[in-house]
Amino acid sequence: MKEKTGEVVQGTLDMLIMKTLALEPMHGYGIAQRIEQISKGVFRVNAGSLFVALQRLERGGLIRSEWNVSENNRRAKYYLLSERGRKRLSTEAREWGRQVAAIARILEA
Amino acid sequence: MSLIRSLAAGLRSLFRKEQVDRELDDELAGFLEMATEEKIKSGMSREDARREVRLEMGSPEVAKEIVGAASWESLVETSWQDLRFAARMLRKNPSFTTVAVLTLALGIAANTTVLSWISATLLNPIPGVAHTSDLVTVMRGDRTDHPTPPFSYPDLRDLSERTQSFSGLLGYHDDYMSLTSAAKPERLYGALTSANYFDVLGVRPILGRTFLPEEGTPRAGAAVIVIGYAVWQNHFAGDPQIVGKTIQINRHPYSVIGVAPRDFTGCAPGLRAELWIPLSMDRDVWGADRPSRRGTFWLNVLGKLRPGVTKDQAQDELNLLMRGIAERFPEDHRDSPNEISFDPLWRSPFGINGYLYKILPMLLGLAGVLLLLACANVASLLLVRSVGRRREIAIRLGMGASRKQIIRQFLIESLLLGLLGGTAAIAITVWTSHSLVAFFPPSNIPLTNDAHVDQRVLFVTIAVSVLAAIISGVLPALRSSSLPVQSVLKEEATSVSLTLHKGRLLSGLVVAQISLSLVLLVCAGLFTRSLQKAQQSDPGFEASHLLLASYELSPAGYTRATGVAFNRQVLDRLSALPGVESVTLADFSPLSFSIHTDYLQIEGYVPQPHESMEISRAFVGPNYFRTLRTSVISGREFTASDTPDSQFVAVVNQAFVDRYWPGESAIGKQVTNWGERFTVVGVARNAKYRLLTSPTEPVIYFPIYQMSSTTQDNTIHLRTTSDPLTMASSVEETIHQLNPELPLFNVNPLSVTMQLGTLFGRVAATFAGSFGLLAVLLAAVGIYGVVAYTTRQRAREIGIRVALGAEKGGIYSLVLGQGFRLTLAGLVVGTALALAFTHLLKAQLFGVSETDAITFTSVGLLLAVVALVACHIPARRATRVDPMVALRHE
Repeated sequence: MKEKTGEVVQGTLDMLIMKTLALEPMHGYGIAQRIEQISKGVFRVNAGSLFVALQRLERGGLIRSEWNVSENNRRAKYYLLSERGRKRLSTEAREWGRQVAAIARILEA
Repeated sequence: MSLIRSLAAGLRSLFRKEQVDRELDDELAGFLEMATEEKIKSGMSREDARREVRLEMGSPEVAKEIVGAASWESLVETSWQDLRFAARMLRKNPSFTTVAVLTLALGIAANTTVLSWISATLLNPIPGVAHTSDLVTVMRGDRTDHPTPPFSYPDLRDLSERTQSFSGLLGYHDDYMSLTSAAKPERLYGALTSANYFDVLGVRPILGRTFLPEEGTPRAGAAVIVIGYAVWQNHFAGDPQIVGKTIQINRHPYSVIGVAPRDFTGCAPGLRAELWIPLSMDRDVWGADRPSRRGTFWLNVLGKLRPGVTKDQAQDELNLLMRGIAERFPEDHRDSPNEISFDPLWRSPFGINGYLYKILPMLLGLAGVLLLLACANVASLLLVRSVGRRREIAIRLGMGASRKQIIRQFLIESLLLGLLGGTAAIAITVWTSHSLVAFFPPSNIPLTNDAHVDQRVLFVTIAVSVLAAIISGVLPALRSSSLPVQSVLKEEATSVSLTLHKGRLLSGLVVAQISLSLVLLVCAGLFTRSLQKAQQSDPGFEASHLLLASYELSPAGYTRATGVAFNRQVLDRLSALPGVESVTLADFSPLSFSIHTDYLQIEGYVPQPHESMEISRAFVGPNYFRTLRTSVISGREFTASDTPDSQFVAVVNQAFVDRYWPGESAIGKQVTNWGERFTVVGVARNAKYRLLTSPTEPVIYFPIYQMSSTTQDNTIHLRTTSDPLTMASSVEETIHQLNPELPLFNVNPLSVTMQLGTLFGRVAATFAGSFGLLAVLLAAVGIYGVVAYTTRQRAREIGIRVALGAEKGGIYSLVLGQGFRLTLAGLVVGTALALAFTHLLKAQLFGVSETDAITFTSVGLLLAVVALVACHIPARRATRVDPMVALRHE
């Protein structure tokens, strides 16, 4: 049996994608890989949800995209975090931290 | 910002669908490849790696669908697909589509036709003046059906000077004038106005200027005129140099100072004025000196409220001012009521709106009922059709379509039907909107109506079409989408029978159709019967074999003395013509809104406080009563010897005696008018001169030879032994022998011109009648459709019954009984609805009660018969069911 993996917590996928892109521009597969790696396999990103989220973020102006050549010479669409995205990420991350801390306090009480 | 970006991206993927698709394909393929390579690197075979990736991420097609469906443009796209599918479905079934579209088109067109009239009259009371919401008509006294101008010029001037509530009060008096500079004098409707007339209305001339304040004061002698666009075009060929030129009105010269805009036709709704002269010119135009008299009420008044002032505040203020005026000049205000009342222009008592505002909303209500009926009809058609589509729907549900998608599909279909119906309705309305004008008989009144399909009508048509589509489509859509998929798919298509629910809904729709058509028919019946009653009622004169012809003397240059002489000659010559039984003159003609009123002082009668002593009066020639065949009950009628030099005499009608001298003999009593005393020499039978449907009112007659001026119309009344129209040319010849220059107008039989007196009754009866006929037709089609359909569904059951030995008669009554029960239920519900509805019509009915038993019974019987005939066809067909065929049909 494999280790149990789950879908990303509702509503946090956008934030995780933006966080991933904050490090460097990345293509869709790379984003999914990185989220899986960094979460040590806790989160697995479904291709469908990933591309819906990317479309949503791009239309919201939080990320941009361009076609580029990947590390192994493959044409791939790379996503970049925009200035607006960067700002949004920092506010969302802060808010998330606050909420997680609050939830943790409630659970420990 | 992001909304715009999303919109832009969405539009891009809508219009460059292929490219966007390809990009997404590439991206997904890349994702797949990279994931596979990763697995290979960790030691899997290529094939295993692929399978693994597939399992993890699912089919790329599904992923693509998910990505695609998440965007708004996908909704547009699926709706577009739905629309194309709907169009295909409608094309596949042309007879259903035609019936449904036609039904909706008729229902919608009934509404838009009435709306086009409302839009052109009530909603646009003064063409050329865009904002009329802060304009009110100012009246004295209670509202009546035939109001007379309420204000004198000095009163208007005082009110104008003192009011704080109005930014302006304008006064006008409208009547015919003659343009006498042309080769042949031309009668045109015009108005004498206060100087601020155009300013208060906010109407700017397209050439020149309007009146200056000083041109409005009495005896200012400002012989200036503003002409209408049509006059400018037709009489002066649109001469750009017209301003400053001189034209003649009633033989007096006027300098043209301006041309009114094309749309503008004065401010009496529905009446077309084309000339405007300052009211100070009354003496030149109509030979009177009314502006200087405080006791002569001849002006209609319109006021423009100051912003922020309510009508109640303004009314209180004017009442206060008017009371002050009445106290300062008690002599001039004793005989008339002095309370002020306001009306918005949509129901202005002056002009045609005073009548239309009562009947048009009623007709719109009836049209609304007709539309509901049409919707019920289409709903039952859709429902019947959806049963035939059960398998299709079940398959789609089975394939994973959501209920929402099925409902959307159905609604889009009915929306398409509604819009097609709306388009057809507009085409119909383009034609029917002009039909109101067709009811206007030739008359002495410059009636005008410019109903057409305007923006408002167009907009409402679209809204109504969508609404009708939703009303008729929503129930079938809801019902059709809730199918037990499994059982439907297992059923054989032919044995599909109505579920209990659907059967009940269909029956309900049939009952609704029958009951709504009963309501419409009852209204149509009541209107028709009251029109009939009005037309059959005794007007107090005999209209057949009477020819009318009018002429005006003062524009032709006659004085009072030469006018009387001319009139005498006319009567002498005409009575000598062969085929003429008798002939007379009058200053009005019956039932054409042309009788005048005067303020009278009546011997021995003390008016109640605020009682109006404004009484209908007629100037008539010798032999008037003999010619009209209105009998003189006591005393005598006028003769040729009642002249300006003999004793001043009058005839009154019976209603006059009953009202002012009850129980006394009228002969010998005196009535004072214009300071002259007239002695009553005769009492005539009551005759109706305004509307056939209005109650008889007091009328006083004076001899036309004793008339104080020549301003009024002279209308020849000629009783002929044969068809009156055959005499028209010899009458014209006779007049032109006397004066070749004198124009004769309105040469028509009385039976034609008096149609004006039933105008509104005819409009109501005609339209309610055609709505009623349409309603019966729709109800008949509706009940036929449903009974025929259910009978076809029961073919198997009927086959079994026949096989088991049921008689044909039994089968027949089985089917007929189903239809009859529905009809009966519809009649009961409809009668209850109609009883609740018809009291609203009460004020418009004449001679019939709003619960008229004859109307209700005959309408009920008619509907029952129509419904039974409609059911007879499927019932007959049912008796011919061959049990072998019906049973083998499985």
